[in-house]
Amino acid sequence: MDQDRRAQWLRGVLDLCVLALLARGDSYGYEVAQSLQAAGLGAIQGGTLYPVLLRLQRSGLVTVYWQEGGGGPARKYYRISEAGHSVLADATTQWAAFAGGVGAILHERTAR
Amino acid sequence: MRPEIWLAALTDELRRHGIGPDLASHVVAEAAAHLRDSGEAPLRSFGPPAAYAAAVADSVGGPAGRASVRRPGPVRLKATSISKGYARRPVLSGVSLTVRAGQVAAVVGANGSGKSTFLRICAGLTSTDAGQVEIFGTLGYCPQAGGTADFLRADEHFALIGAGRGLRRSEAVRTGVDQAGALDWHPGDAQARHLSGGTRQKLNLVLAGLGDPDVLLLDEPYQGFDRGTYLDFWHEVWRWRDAGKAIVVVTHLLNQLDRVDVVLDLSASTSGAAA
Repeated sequence: MDQDRRAQWLRGVLDLCVLALLARGDSYGYEVAQSLQAAGLGAIQGGTLYPVLLRLQRSGLVTVYWQEGGGGPARKYYRISEAGHSVLADATTQWAAFAGGVGAILHERTAR
Repeated sequence: MRPEIWLAALTDELRRHGIGPDLASHVVAEAAAHLRDSGEAPLRSFGPPAAYAAAVADSVGGPAGRASVRRPGPVRLKATSISKGYARRPVLSGVSLTVRAGQVAAVVGANGSGKSTFLRICAGLTSTDAGQVEIFGTLGYCPQAGGTADFLRADEHFALIGAGRGLRRSEAVRTGVDQAGALDWHPGDAQARHLSGGTRQKLNLVLAGLGDPDVLLLDEPYQGFDRGTYLDFWHEVWRWRDAGKAIVVVTHLLNQLDRVDVVLDLSASTSGAAA
C-alpha cells in the first residue's frame, strides 16, 4: 500500500483504534502496538504511538497506572475512562457513516 | 545508537522542551520499557531524541502557559520618549518602554529599525538625542557580538566581570561554570579568541547574568547557537523571569512572542510605542 496514504489514514483513526483496544482491557504501549499490527494496520512506531497515548491521557479519555512487569521494570498501563467510552461510542457511529459513504462512492465507480 | 545513550539524550531533550521532571521520567521509563519489550533500535522506533521530545511536548501542549501569571513587580526599566538619529537620519523617535520585575520584553523590528541602538541606549553605552532611561537596580548587558577579551580564558572572564559586580574570584568562577553548563557548554582552558562564535556568545550571556543583576539586556545573544542551545537560552530567560528579573531581548525570531509579556515593535513606525 502507498505508505503516505496509509500514514494519512492512520493519523485520522489511530486514537480511536487505541481507545477501542483499551476498551477490551487495560494494556501498555508495546502490547497496543502489537495488537494494532495483528489487526493489519502495519507496524506502528513508538514515536507515533506514545504521543497519541499522551494526548488521550491529557484529554482524560484514558487513565494510567504503573505496574511491575514480568521480571522487568514497571510498565505504564492505560485504562479507558468513562469519557473515553463515550467518545469511542460516538466516533464509532460517525466512522461507520463516513466509511460507508467512502465505500459507496468507490464501489459505484468500479461498478460502472 | 545504544538504548542507554538514546534515553540519556531524550532526558536532556525533554528538559529542553520544557517538560517537567516528573513527566519526563515517565516518558523515559515508558520508552525504555518499549525498547526492552520490542528489542527495536531506538532511532528506528522513536526517531532522534530531539524529534521525539518535540512530539511529546506537542502532545502535552508544550510548556504550560509561559506568559506570567503572577503580578509583575516594581518597575525596573523605564525608557521615555527616546529619540536618536545618525547624520540627520532618525533611527528612533519617541520610543518608550516600561519593564517590571518578572517581565520579559521583546524588541522586534526589521534590520536597521534601531533595535540594537535602543538596547545600547538602555545600557547607557550610547547617548540619546532626546528622552531618558531610568534603571532601578543593577544591570547586565549581552551584546550581539564582541564584548569578550581575546586573550583571556572563560574563567578569567568570570573572575574579571564578577569582580566588577562584587563577587569573589572563586564564587564568580563557580557561578560562571554552572551557568555555562545550563547552556550545554563546559568551559576549558581555551582563550576566547579560540572559541567558536556560538560559544563566545554563550560566554557573553553568562557574563551578562553574573552577580544576579535586576535588569538583563540581551541583544540577539543566541547567534551561532544550535537548535538545542537556543531552547536552553529561552529556558534561562524564563528562569530569570521567574526569579523576578526584568529582561529585554532583542530578537528577529518571532516564534517566542506569544510567551513574552511586552512587545516593542520598532518597525511598525519610527514613533513606535510599547504594547
